[in-house]
Amino acid sequence: MGRYILRRSLQAVGTLFLVVFVLHLLTTFAIQLNGNPALAFFGDRVPSASQVAAVEARFGLDDPCFDQVGNPCLGPFAERLAGYAQGDFGTNLRGREVTDIVATAAPNTLKLFAVVTVTWLVMGMFLGSMAARWRGRPADHGIRMTSVLIDAFPIFVLLLVYRYVFSVPLSEWARSTFGSDSLPAQLFRPSFDADHAWASVLVPGLLLGLAGSAAFIRLVRASQLESYAGEHVRTARSKGLHERHVLLHHVVRNSSVPVVTAVGLTFTEALAGAVITEGMMNIYGMGGVLWEAVRGSDIGLVIGVVTILAIVTVVVMIVVDVAYAALDPRIRYE
Amino acid sequence: MGRWTVVTATTATMTLVLAGCSGGGGDEDDGGGGGGEGATVNLSLGQDVETLLPMDSNVGDNISVLDVVYDGLVRYDPETTEPYNYVAESVESSDNTVWTIKIKPDLTFQNGEPVDANAFARAWNYAAYGPNAMANNYFFERVAGYDEMQGETDDDGNVVEEPAAQELSGLKVVDDLTLEVTLIGPFAGFATMLGYTGFFPIAQECLDDIEACSVKPIGNGPFQVSEWNQGQNLTASLWEGYTLDEAPTTYDTIEWTEYAGESSWPDFQAGVLDLGSPPPAEQAAAESDPDLQERYLEGPGAALTYLAFPLYKDGPWTDIEFRKAISMAIDRQGIIDALLPGQRVPADSWVVPDGVPGGEAGTCEWCTFDADAAKAALEKAGGWPEGETLTIHLGQDETEEQLFKAVGDSIQQVLGIPYTLDPTPDFFANRSDRAFTGAFRSNWFPDYPLNENYLAPVYASGDAENGNTNFGYYGEEFEAAIKAGDEAPTLEEAVTRYQEAEAALATDFPTVPLVFSVNSYYYSERLSNVVLDPFSGEPKLRILEVSDAM
Repeated sequence: MGRYILRRSLQAVGTLFLVVFVLHLLTTFAIQLNGNPALAFFGDRVPSASQVAAVEARFGLDDPCFDQVGNPCLGPFAERLAGYAQGDFGTNLRGREVTDIVATAAPNTLKLFAVVTVTWLVMGMFLGSMAARWRGRPADHGIRMTSVLIDAFPIFVLLLVYRYVFSVPLSEWARSTFGSDSLPAQLFRPSFDADHAWASVLVPGLLLGLAGSAAFIRLVRASQLESYAGEHVRTARSKGLHERHVLLHHVVRNSSVPVVTAVGLTFTEALAGAVITEGMMNIYGMGGVLWEAVRGSDIGLVIGVVTILAIVTVVVMIVVDVAYAALDPRIRYE
Repeated sequence: MGRWTVVTATTATMTLVLAGCSGGGGDEDDGGGGGGEGATVNLSLGQDVETLLPMDSNVGDNISVLDVVYDGLVRYDPETTEPYNYVAESVESSDNTVWTIKIKPDLTFQNGEPVDANAFARAWNYAAYGPNAMANNYFFERVAGYDEMQGETDDDGNVVEEPAAQELSGLKVVDDLTLEVTLIGPFAGFATMLGYTGFFPIAQECLDDIEACSVKPIGNGPFQVSEWNQGQNLTASLWEGYTLDEAPTTYDTIEWTEYAGESSWPDFQAGVLDLGSPPPAEQAAAESDPDLQERYLEGPGAALTYLAFPLYKDGPWTDIEFRKAISMAIDRQGIIDALLPGQRVPADSWVVPDGVPGGEAGTCEWCTFDADAAKAALEKAGGWPEGETLTIHLGQDETEEQLFKAVGDSIQQVLGIPYTLDPTPDFFANRSDRAFTGAFRSNWFPDYPLNENYLAPVYASGDAENGNTNFGYYGEEFEAAIKAGDEAPTLEEAVTRYQEAEAALATDFPTVPLVFSVNSYYYSERLSNVVLDPFSGEPKLRILEVSDAM
């Protein structure tokens, strides 16, 4: 196991290097082709050459390679890597530490994702297990039908309807009934409130979780059906084990491997990809930060954030692989 | 049995979530409260606020925060935008070149340091020093010694020579409360500029740690920033040591929530925010709500959108008749009604009427829609070259693309000139490289409330051969009138001279004014005495009142 983790970690370092390098190339070319973000600093005014030069220096774009299309700018790349190696992820264009930005944004995204994951797991395990348990019965048909319906509603529709139709009257009612700082008032706030992060992230999280749960329900149902038909379950039953024991230890546990994989994969996706939910509910999270950074050609921020995301992804993938072994005794790593 | 696990899991989650909520809610003070002591005003703020350093703040959002955190030498009348002395005892000059600023005695920063001549000098020198790359650097271009503080660059933009000076030679601290400023030439509007964010003073402690000061300012105004979670929210509370008189009496805390884009409207509707303006899609619904209409304020905005031409390049646009034809072919009111009802007004002048001293409506003779006159003017100009397409260059902005598509349609419909839009992220670079091959969108938002600011920075260059960078325009009469204004003995007379400059511009007609912005806000039932600053368009927070009713 130890050797396996070591090997995976070495692979991870190589992957990270590649990710950072490719990103560096892409953002460098974007600046060379799209023009200098330093000019946007001046808006509609015409800056003098020395003013532009000063802002370029401040933004860390004063290396002449940024003006030469096709130049891979290896000098700035080496400097950046050296910084990363020392844990210095640099700053955004206006001098705010990337780690500070991530430290503010990531907890919000993680809170959102915690609610989403719990919703997925609860919906997926509960409805999926029910559908598998009563296969072919009305409950099964109903649940499968529901999962198709859920799939048909994109998340932005759910959020739009919630935000513009439900949240305003609900929140007004809650504020006048329970007071403006009460829990219900925070729950139905039309947008995120950093002072009440958990409360204001709950409803959007539930909606986002609901929207993504359809695939989970079907996944759980399919893998449990396979377990029900498995020989180990038949053996367990024939040994006279109690049905609850069979279900928990032989069906649910054995069908959890694909579920863990899916959670692991979607975790990393959600960390960067909740752009729509974050944008609509005004949650200051990783998706929104990345979105704005790309729009503003903020190379330092884009690469810094993506590198941090890539590190998290790689770590989560290793954790998921290790979790397999815990769930399925047949899986062993050497 | 499967149900058992699920129920346990659900209960656990709910407990966890509820614990999280009450934990978050418990330490919060009374956010919505009543008026008087302890009342809070809840406002929205753009998420792109990066700094609260006065020398580096030049977007609407950080300016409106700094307006209550810092006091400037002068402040502007909320009705007329005319400047009056505030931190300054007097601002005087006999020749408009050497200005003597006397500062009121016994004023301090929020950390106890004195607000004296040095406090201004250190801020201005820091801003003017090129390598600091401050957003408000250019405001000091008129002060003697500015050029020596900028580095020299070669054609590729590489610094070849470091600045020779670290301080403005035109800035002299005469005594603790007297500052003498020498300009490179006479400028009657200098006192007007002094109320702008870029001229605020800073404490020595701020200069010693600029980074800390840019997120937690040490101001001299009525409010003190108590907390800023960058990207999320900003709280400021009344500073007890404030000795001047412009401070609110009915509330003591302002909480700004930061929003990305225009997403704050539902929060206003729900009563979370005290001020709001609807996104275009919600505009009609808001207008048809009688309750909301009672709490609506509207006033002219200061931002001008206009159409410019590459006068530095040969083309039909070098003929004034052609420019007149284009201008008269644009149905400004029709376009606004169709696209942005209530959010813009047609422009028929280069300086916003009533928004700043000297602004007058109707200075543009050819800015009204007249299809027949437009066709006649085009004919006089020799028509549009057969088979050519008029390109309209602009930046990438959804609203502007819609607006200029409508402008193009209007031109095409009336004059039969085919057009194409060129929205590009390189807009600013292309403009300074003079790379445009057709008409292009232009915006101007003035930096200080004086009609001169709509004219000189945009059109004057003193370069008769090449004209100004953006359009290649040069007008002798225009330049002379601007110069006469700069040298005028009083501000009133200067304003009149600048009006003559606008008239000269109207005769030369280098650009086509299209629309002015409109300032509007809805406000909550708790607020009264809501006054929009005609210049910035933001509510004047210092005179705002919060009532107990909630």
